[in-house]
Amino acid sequence: MSRLTIGWVALPLFAGFAVYLIPRLARPLALAAALASAVYATLLFLREVPLSLGLLDRFGVTLLLDPLSGFFIFTNALVTAAVILYCWDTGKSAFFYTQLTILHGSVNAAFACADFMSLYVALEVISIAAFLLVAYPRSDCSIWVGLRYLFVSNTAMLFYLMGAVLVYQANHSFAYVGLSRAPLEAIALIFLGLLVKGGVFVAGLWLPLTHSESESPVSALLSGVVVKAGIYPLMRCALLLPEIDPMVRVFGVGTALLGVAYAVFEKDTKRLLAFSTISQLGFVLAAPEVGGFYALTHGMVKSSLFLLAGNLPSRSFKELQQVPIRRSLWIALAIASFSISGFPLLSGFGAKVLTMKSLLPWQVVGMNLAAVGTAIAFAKFIFLPHRQFPPDSQSQPLKPGFWAAMLVLLGGLVLANAVYYEAYTVENVVKPLLIIGIAWIAHKLIFRQANVKLPRTAEKFEHLIGGMSLMLILVFWMVFAWVAN
Amino acid sequence: MLEAFVIATILCGFFGIVFKKNLVMKIISMDVMSTGVIAYYVLIASREGLKTPILTEALDNAAGIAYADPVPQAVILTAIVIGFSIQALMLVGIMKLARDNPILEANEIERENTP
Repeated sequence: MSRLTIGWVALPLFAGFAVYLIPRLARPLALAAALASAVYATLLFLREVPLSLGLLDRFGVTLLLDPLSGFFIFTNALVTAAVILYCWDTGKSAFFYTQLTILHGSVNAAFACADFMSLYVALEVISIAAFLLVAYPRSDCSIWVGLRYLFVSNTAMLFYLMGAVLVYQANHSFAYVGLSRAPLEAIALIFLGLLVKGGVFVAGLWLPLTHSESESPVSALLSGVVVKAGIYPLMRCALLLPEIDPMVRVFGVGTALLGVAYAVFEKDTKRLLAFSTISQLGFVLAAPEVGGFYALTHGMVKSSLFLLAGNLPSRSFKELQQVPIRRSLWIALAIASFSISGFPLLSGFGAKVLTMKSLLPWQVVGMNLAAVGTAIAFAKFIFLPHRQFPPDSQSQPLKPGFWAAMLVLLGGLVLANAVYYEAYTVENVVKPLLIIGIAWIAHKLIFRQANVKLPRTAEKFEHLIGGMSLMLILVFWMVFAWVAN
Repeated sequence: MLEAFVIATILCGFFGIVFKKNLVMKIISMDVMSTGVIAYYVLIASREGLKTPILTEALDNAAGIAYADPVPQAVILTAIVIGFSIQALMLVGIMKLARDNPILEANEIERENTP
C-alpha cells in the first residue's frame, strides 16, 4: 500500500508533463490520472486502519491517509474527471490539460500530507497552477483576476511560513501533531494562512470575484476542490488537537452566515454560486468530524452548478426571468439546487442531516439559519422559467461532453446517498422539507422583490490585504483567549 | 534584537503591499516581506550554533561543535525557489497588463477590469 501511495502521489505530476510532451494524448492521460485517484480513494475506504507514512527522519515528509482524506481525494477525482469531460470538445490546448493535471496532483498532495512543509509546497503549486488556469484566456481581465489571487494567497502563505518555523522550533519536526506544543503565535499565523487559502470568513472575500470571473470549467474546479485544500488541514488539526476544535467551529458558523447573507441578495448567477461556496465551506468546518462527506457532496453539486451556469443564456437573474431556458438544462439545475438545499433523495440531504447531528448546542441556531438562507438563494434557480425547445430550433444544442460531466456529478449525488442511508427517518425528512418550505415562502414574499445591492468595497484588492491584518488580530485574540486556557 | 529587525522587515514589506499604489512596487514589497521570512528561518536555524553543518573531521571530534540546524535552511531553500517563481510569473502578468495601463496603478487597473 505504501508503494502504491507514493506512485499515486507522483502519477498526476508525471502525467502532467507527459501531456505537454505528447499533446495528442492530452485528454486521455488527464482523465486517467483522475480515475487513478478515484480508484485509490476507493481502496482507502475499504482499508480499516489509517495509513501513516514517514519519509526520512522525524523532520521529513509525513503522509496520513484515512477515510477522511479518502472523501476529499474522491471529490477531487470526480470533479477533475467531470471538468475534463466538459472540456473534451472545446478545443483547449495541451497547456490547459497540463495545468489541470498538475493542479489535480497538488490538490491530492495537500489531502495526503500531514506536515506543514509538504502542505506549504502543495498549496503554492496549487496557487501557480490555478493562476495559470484562471489566466488561460489571456485577456486583461483574467490576468488581473489571476494576479489578485496569486498576490493574496502568496502574502497569506508568507504568514503561514512564519508559523511553520515556530512549530519546528518547538518540536524539531513539522508534523501537524506538533501544533499542540508550539507557541500560540504559531497557531495564529498558520490559521491565518489556511483561512485565507480556504476562503473562510472575512479572509475569504477574494473568492467571489476569482470564482465568478474565471471560465466555467475553471470555476467549477476552484469551487469544487481547490478551496478545500485550505479547509482540509484546518479540519485535520481540529481533529488531532481538541483545543483548536472550538475555534474551527466558530469560524464554520461565521462563514456559513456571512456567505449566505451575501448570497440571498445576489443578482448574478456565478457570484451567487461563489458566495454559496463560502457558506458551504462553513458547513464543512462547523462539524469537522463528519465534514468529509459534506465536502464530497458540495464538491459535486457546486461544480455541476458552475458548469450549468456557464451554459445559461445570461448571468443576470433579471434577464433569465424574462426568457425561458431549455427544459433539460432546467431539470439538471433543479436537481443540483434541490441537493444543495438538502432535499431528500439526493445526497445533500444525508450530508446536511449528518452535519446537523454533530453540531454543538450553541451552533444549532446559526446553522439552521444558514440552511434556510441557502434554500432561499437556490430558490432563485429553481423558479426560473423554462420550456421545451423544439429540436429544430435556432439555439445551439448542448455538447455531449456537457451531459457526460453532468452524468458523473449528478449521478454521483444520487449514488452517494448510500454512504449515510440511516438518515431516512420521518423526523429527518420532515425538517428539511420544512426549511425549504419556509425558504420558498420567504423567497416569494421578500427576496424576489428585494432590491438591495450590497457594497463590494470589502472585495477591493487593497482592502483584502488590509482585511488580512484585521483577521490576524482576530485570530491572535481568539488563540490567546481560548487555546491558552 | 536580531529577531526584532527581522520582524520589522516583514512588517515593512506587508505595509508596502498595502500602501504602495504601483503594482511593481507592491511586488517588490512582497519580495521584502519574503526576504524577512527567509531571514527568520536562518535566524532560527542558528539558535543552537553558527558552524556550517558539514562534517569535515572525523565524527568523534564533531560532538562538541555547535552546528547550525540544517533542516530550516534546507526547507527555506524550497520556499525561496517557490517565491522566486511566483514573482517571475506575476511580473510576466504585469508586463501583459502594462500594454494597456502603462502607469500600472493598482486602483486604475482594478476599476477597469472588475465588472
